Amino acid sequence: MVIDMTCVFSASDMVCEVPDADSSRTIFSGLSFTLERGEIVDLVGPSGSGKSSLLTAFAQLNPHAHGSLALDGRSSAEFTPQQWRRQVAYLPQKPVLTGATVAEAIRLPWTLRIRGGAEPGALPWLRRACSRQSPDLRAKALLPDERIRETLDGIGCDDIELDRAPHDLSGGQAARVSLARTLLTEPKVMLADEVDAGLDDNNADKVASIMAKAVANGMAIVRIRHRPPDGRASRIVTLDGGTLTETHVERQEGLA
Amino acid sequence: MSGNYYSIDIAGLLVALVMVAIAAGISALMRMGIGGTLLWSACRALLQLCAMGFIMSFVIHSGNPWFVLLLIAFMLVAAVQITLSRAKGVPKGLVGPVLLSLVITMLIMMSTVVELVIRPQPWYAPQLVVPLTGMLLGNTVSTLAVGLSRFFESMRERRDEVDTLLALGATAWETARPSIVSSIRLGLMPTTASLASAGIVTVPGMMAGQIIAGGDPLDAAKYQFMVLASIAALTLLADGLIMTLVYRKCFTALDQYEPTLH
Repeated sequence: MVIDMTCVFSASDMVCEVPDADSSRTIFSGLSFTLERGEIVDLVGPSGSGKSSLLTAFAQLNPHAHGSLALDGRSSAEFTPQQWRRQVAYLPQKPVLTGATVAEAIRLPWTLRIRGGAEPGALPWLRRACSRQSPDLRAKALLPDERIRETLDGIGCDDIELDRAPHDLSGGQAARVSLARTLLTEPKVMLADEVDAGLDDNNADKVASIMAKAVANGMAIVRIRHRPPDGRASRIVTLDGGTLTETHVERQEGLA
Repeated sequence: MSGNYYSIDIAGLLVALVMVAIAAGISALMRMGIGGTLLWSACRALLQLCAMGFIMSFVIHSGNPWFVLLLIAFMLVAAVQITLSRAKGVPKGLVGPVLLSLVITMLIMMSTVVELVIRPQPWYAPQLVVPLTGMLLGNTVSTLAVGLSRFFESMRERRDEVDTLLALGATAWETARPSIVSSIRLGLMPTTASLASAGIVTVPGMMAGQIIAGGDPLDAAKYQFMVLASIAALTLLADGLIMTLVYRKCFTALDQYEPTLH
């Protein structure tokens, strides 16, 4: 078998069955999908066709779905769920920003063991509970305010102060902070679930150009979208009636 | 038993029942709709307590440790049943974890408080072991019921946060932790409150009983502290145990969140 080196992510035989009252309903089955480094793929289709289910299945977050997944030619079985999701990051539609400030919300991923640098072993949470440094302090050491500021400015979020309360952000700002948080974790694949829904055209365009920048640095992105094509995707894939159909599009110059 | 001990006769019980009946009558006049329940509960409580009294006096006079164990086993089973019927919105299959955490805390109570501190003769002294078990179970039952209900409710409320945390690579434990902490806090509130108010606002039931029965008040205070302190420690332990045993019920083997059915 020849492994395509530009292929970063592949999925095959994806099945999703949602349990119903007495039987189960098949959303899709036998779906295959590949993703190349540095490309944006738009996933479209009528609502209820299972677009979100497919993306959460890619991130191994969907308890009703299964299939064969591989990242850089390595099967998902070689990863722990946490290691997998660290590289294949699902970005939910609704931004959830916890903590008292924007900086704290963005540092959430660094309070977790997968990025905390602790070696796995017996009862690691117990060892962590006993260590003197709090998770918040550790996260601050791993991701200092300056680096967050730099990244936010770099992706056109200079309107968002780090000490603001996440609650006070506008919808567009919250969506961009949530996106910046996932981008800062530097996954290989990002699965963006209708991140620009409910945003005005201006904010939707900001979100799209942030993603275009990430893609230029080698990330691969799948976007669920309901808006008209914005010319940034290299392919548009339609999920309808349980099957995926693909449309190749010419990427517009000067937008990426 | 030193000091004076005042026994209550049948007429005394009737006076108490008449008081309840008058209260029920007033509530019926005011259409509060609680009189019937109050009267029925009072009669039930009288029967249950008398039955417990008969059984206890039988067990105490029999001097047979097997009867003590049997009585405690019965109390444990009843405690599991009451915990699960009081816990709302929890998944199935909790009998094992609840029984295990009740048994473990009860064994610790027996080995430390009874055998290490009080050291009764014989070791199974029913008049000590049975009431202590009852008090411990009574407290852990309500703590566990509140803790379990709150945990699964909180996981459902935090659905969006749970999805985000898992997507960012959190383990099941890291994802469930905020719900575990909030449910343990809520479950322990009555315990900490009873510790803080003991002796100032309230004369706790056990101490009151010992004093009424003619015991030395200072002795009663020592016993009461022993019981309050160990119950506080053991309810926390029971709650922590049950949480570590059940939090995984919200997740699949691949650390995917699976909403629990209620």
